[in-house]
Amino acid sequence: MCDARDLDALCLAKSYFDLKEYDRAAYFLRGCRSQKAYFLYMYSRYLSGEKKKDDETVDSLGPLEKGQVRNEALRELRVELSKKHSAGELDGFALYLYGVVLRKLDLLKEAVEIFVAATHALPLHWGSWLELCNLITNIEMLKSLSLPECWVRDFFMAHMFTELQMIKEALQKYQSLMEAGFAKSTYIISQIAVAYHNIRDIDQALYLFNELREQDPFRIENMDTFSNLLYVRSMKPELSYLAHNLVEIDKYRVETCCVIGNYYSLRSQHEKAALYFQRALKLNPRCLGAWTLMGHEYMEMKNTSAAIQAYRHAIEVNKRDYRAWYGLGQTYEILKMPFYSLYYYRKAHQLRPNDSRMLVALGECYEKLSQQVEAKKCYWRAYSVGDVERMALLKLAKLHEQLNEFDDAAQCYIIYIQDIFSCGEQLEHAEVSTALRYLGQYYFKNKLYDEASLCAQRCCDYNDAREEGKALLRQISAVREQGEPSSTDLSVPCVFNPLSNNTTPVRRVSPLDLSSVTP
Amino acid sequence: MASVHESLYFNPMMTNGVVHANIFGIKDWVTPYKIAVLALLHEMSTTKPMALLDRRRLNKLILPLQQGPDLTLEQFLKIVEECCLRMVNAVKHRLFLMADGELQDMEHFFTILPNAFSDSEAFKTSVVGLFMRQMLLAYNKLSFSQVYKLYKSLQQYCHRVQPELSALPTEDMELTSNEDPSAEHIDKDELDTASLHQSELRSEGTSQGPLSQKQAEYFLARQAYLLKNDENKAMSPAKLQDELNNILKFNPDFAEAHYLSYLNSIRVQDIYISTHSLLHYFDRLILSGGEGKSNGDEGYGRSLRYAVLNLATLHCRFGHYQQADLALQEAIRIAQEANDHVCLQHCLSWLYTLEQMKGSDSVVLTEDSVKIAAHFCLPYLASLGIQSLVQQGAKQGMPANKLLDALRGTDIMHWKQSLSELIEISLAQTTSIWRMYGKSTMARQQAQLLLNMNSLEPVNFSVQQNNTEAFAVALCHLAELHAEQGLYAVVSDIMKHLKQQFPPHTQHAKLWMLCDLKIQFEKAMNDGKYHLAEPHVTAISALNSTEGLYRKAQLLKALNQTTEASQILQQLQQQCEKSKDIEMTIRVMLASAELHWDSSGFATALPLLLQALALSRQHNLQSLTSETLLHLAFTQLMLGIPEQALVLVQDVLESVLAHGSLIDKGRALLLAARCQMALAGAAAQEHRLTALEQAVHTLDEAAVYFSQLDCKERMRDIHYLQARLHHTLGNISQRNKCSMLFRLLDQELPSSGMTVVSHL
Repeated sequence: MCDARDLDALCLAKSYFDLKEYDRAAYFLRGCRSQKAYFLYMYSRYLSGEKKKDDETVDSLGPLEKGQVRNEALRELRVELSKKHSAGELDGFALYLYGVVLRKLDLLKEAVEIFVAATHALPLHWGSWLELCNLITNIEMLKSLSLPECWVRDFFMAHMFTELQMIKEALQKYQSLMEAGFAKSTYIISQIAVAYHNIRDIDQALYLFNELREQDPFRIENMDTFSNLLYVRSMKPELSYLAHNLVEIDKYRVETCCVIGNYYSLRSQHEKAALYFQRALKLNPRCLGAWTLMGHEYMEMKNTSAAIQAYRHAIEVNKRDYRAWYGLGQTYEILKMPFYSLYYYRKAHQLRPNDSRMLVALGECYEKLSQQVEAKKCYWRAYSVGDVERMALLKLAKLHEQLNEFDDAAQCYIIYIQDIFSCGEQLEHAEVSTALRYLGQYYFKNKLYDEASLCAQRCCDYNDAREEGKALLRQISAVREQGEPSSTDLSVPCVFNPLSNNTTPVRRVSPLDLSSVTP
Repeated sequence: MASVHESLYFNPMMTNGVVHANIFGIKDWVTPYKIAVLALLHEMSTTKPMALLDRRRLNKLILPLQQGPDLTLEQFLKIVEECCLRMVNAVKHRLFLMADGELQDMEHFFTILPNAFSDSEAFKTSVVGLFMRQMLLAYNKLSFSQVYKLYKSLQQYCHRVQPELSALPTEDMELTSNEDPSAEHIDKDELDTASLHQSELRSEGTSQGPLSQKQAEYFLARQAYLLKNDENKAMSPAKLQDELNNILKFNPDFAEAHYLSYLNSIRVQDIYISTHSLLHYFDRLILSGGEGKSNGDEGYGRSLRYAVLNLATLHCRFGHYQQADLALQEAIRIAQEANDHVCLQHCLSWLYTLEQMKGSDSVVLTEDSVKIAAHFCLPYLASLGIQSLVQQGAKQGMPANKLLDALRGTDIMHWKQSLSELIEISLAQTTSIWRMYGKSTMARQQAQLLLNMNSLEPVNFSVQQNNTEAFAVALCHLAELHAEQGLYAVVSDIMKHLKQQFPPHTQHAKLWMLCDLKIQFEKAMNDGKYHLAEPHVTAISALNSTEGLYRKAQLLKALNQTTEASQILQQLQQQCEKSKDIEMTIRVMLASAELHWDSSGFATALPLLLQALALSRQHNLQSLTSETLLHLAFTQLMLGIPEQALVLVQDVLESVLAHGSLIDKGRALLLAARCQMALAGAAAQEHRLTALEQAVHTLDEAAVYFSQLDCKERMRDIHYLQARLHHTLGNISQRNKCSMLFRLLDQELPSSGMTVVSHL
């Protein structure tokens, strides 16, 4: 048996390999025949090349040469591996290595084939699956691959769905995996949490992350996502605890740096936050999130040019990073260039067609450019895809108000108020009072005095609208004293009947519905 | 000339249409190729006795070698060999001494390098001296491992060439060729992996070595210059894009490459990539632009303004007027906030251009723009505005003397300030104006003046700018003028040149396409080959809908489909009234009058013709005036007042013969002859004969013109008339000859329903 004969050399080489003395490991493995030794031999050579490449990047001969430094071993490795491959002598690991080499040489199509072969040869090697995942760009490509029938495949599919932003499918997959016996896997929990984070179901995600931390308290992976969630919810003490905890575990990790950056950002110490994101980038220059977050920090510091730089870097690392595109749009919007930022928002919208934030941003830009028709479309679409910030309707209503489309405006306000009350929580920027004030006036104008007085009374609950509410009540009572009857004719051009020339198909609600809503 | 502005890409580094090159710092480093160049320089300065001719050739070589991209050793040696054989051996010897020896030899070379220059003619501040010192500086900055790496690559560089020295490639070695130094190396490697995919080979074959920053900048500057001045000499769009992607792969921060990519994709009308590159360029520029000086005159606030302005121009170019309008408004707003008057002025000049392109009246805006530009001392924009005003004025019938005066006034300024681009535009504009007024000689003269003028622009890369719109316009006018005189061989020569100079995908190609089609249409119509004219009508409509409609009406009229023709003419009339296109209005009126003739409504044609006459006189359109007068005369002839008609014809004959096209001359003479015939019929016996002889004479003259044009239908008419005249005069032999000619032509031509009487 080759394995037995090579055992000594293999052990020696493995030790050298563990000590990162790759060349030495490769040297002692050069004569071995076994598959295992062969893989280690080739892998050592590959890693040695990678290491030298990294070292040389530091002292390359000039700035433009930086991109040119390449792993010199790759070419030789490919030649040898391709010979062996055509002879059919490669096992699963060696195939994986061959695939990696091909990918590094930018031969992506061939790499995909090899990785698929590797998964067939050795389905339980997660590395090949992960590499495959990086090479798949869309769902059609995924469907066209013939993958081995194995339980790992489900993990891969779930992972792929997450990557392709098909969160619903991913969650289903994970759920079935949990039911199949993986309920205690921290990996699955973390993946589900990340998926919830992606669809901005913050509560679920937070709950899962807390659970994850209980089960796996020294975990650093995915903690940057957790900190993002804490940041969004402004949970300062929790974030601070997390940051300190992670520093104790390992302070030189990208995730740790990102968490600390978030922590400082939440405390409005943006310089320090930027510093930590920079540190994260030093640890891993291809860390996408850090570039974007750094851009956000520079934005906070009003350093727009640095922010643009950071966002551009993020886009360079990953063209599909919608947050960076969005950030660029925001930057230019702050510079009062709405038309210019349209391009960036459009890009972001392209990448996340169902994200209301981009749509609202687009709408705002169009509004600034006095393109009301486009703006209305954007706001309506934002509401239709599920508005997370609950601003779209309010903006739409105000737009209708500006354009003197009173009925549409009233409709929007009604839905807005219902939305706000039905979601239960009190939002800071909620402008219920504005909506109520408008509705009161609107009903008053249409002589629906009962509804008007109801709205006016509600107005009195809010500080900023109290005076107007009272004034309206007085007006109503004055009119009623004059004996003018409240209009009960439902055919008046108001909220009851859909208008044919209406541009936005607002669903019609009777104003009486309002009374059933309790704040 | 609405798109005058488009030849200018607004670059923030630009003032008055001149792009100032960056002043670069040291952005170079030592490569094996640079060492080879240094070795050459060293040998040149140490070898004292050298033939003057050799030295001169070598000196001429230095600059391209320094600026160009890295060459392989064999290419390098070949170039040097062509200049001086002795030098090659010396350089080769020195290089191989280093490569075959030890690291120490290279170090020694760099130590003795400055000595050679200290007492030679290469001063410290000369090109050579600077290059040498830069190299030394870069070398001294290298770390230990870098020096070793450099030495290793030098060895590789030298030894790669040796086995192939026997078989030097025979390809034409341009200095600019971007041959990849590592290509052969790869190829050799690939030999033993012959079983690998073809696509793999290609993907590696195109991955080229990096350029140094300096070389990249030189490359970009050269390509940008070529794109602006003579696109044909620049790299093909696909290849250029490959090259740019390559540069960007190695250095993503190299903003200028994005700008060139923008220009390149505009070339192939790719809005997607061009927008992307433009925005990317400005995003990058904002970084490199002076930080801290935000919103100042020089800071990144400035580039923001120009970024939006550029975006507006991009949309303008692609015809997205609404988008352009929005972008322009944004540019204006932020320029106003920053009090940047120069930028505002640029915006304003774009604003009126945009209005013009949209087809609305922008005289007031333009006037404002000129005033403000003059106030801020921006001569370029001011005279551009004046030229715009002149163009609009000419269309609206301003007095000719005022227009030409204005042009002359600005011309003086252009010459003073050496604004060569504007001089060209001004000449082309004068050509157009003269042509519009119907003075063909003046137009021809101005066009020739433009084409023969020596440009004031410095000639770089041995390319002179001759691809501007002005040249295209002048050449098109020349082609049309020649076509009018029936010189179709010359026309096809001019067209060939235009096609070559402005390939179909370029911006100004539409000009010559339309011109070419018009000429071919006219020719087909004159020859009576209506089936040939038909496809041209469709093609013309694609380029210019109004013109297309007019031609369609003409064709239908010729095919006797009067109802359809009159419908189209009515439609055209309305269009022209809306767009205030006077020339077309008059033409439409004339065509309608001809339709009235066809239905023998001579009296009804009169008011139309009189209206046309008034309009054309008002706008100084001489050729149209004489054409209208001929029409009037014909109508009068038909109405039975040949005396009046003859007076009219004789009045107008002089100017037609001086300026008109061949066909017009022939037609005028034919008409004159017919008037004479009609008069002779009424005259007393003794005058009659002389009058008839006069008519014969006139017909002969007309026949000369028509035969030059090879216009057979007209010739047939003339022969018929001549035969009748000779018959009356009793010249039997002459009559028989003419009738035979008539018979021959009549057999050849399809019999048209029209008789001699019913058309001009």
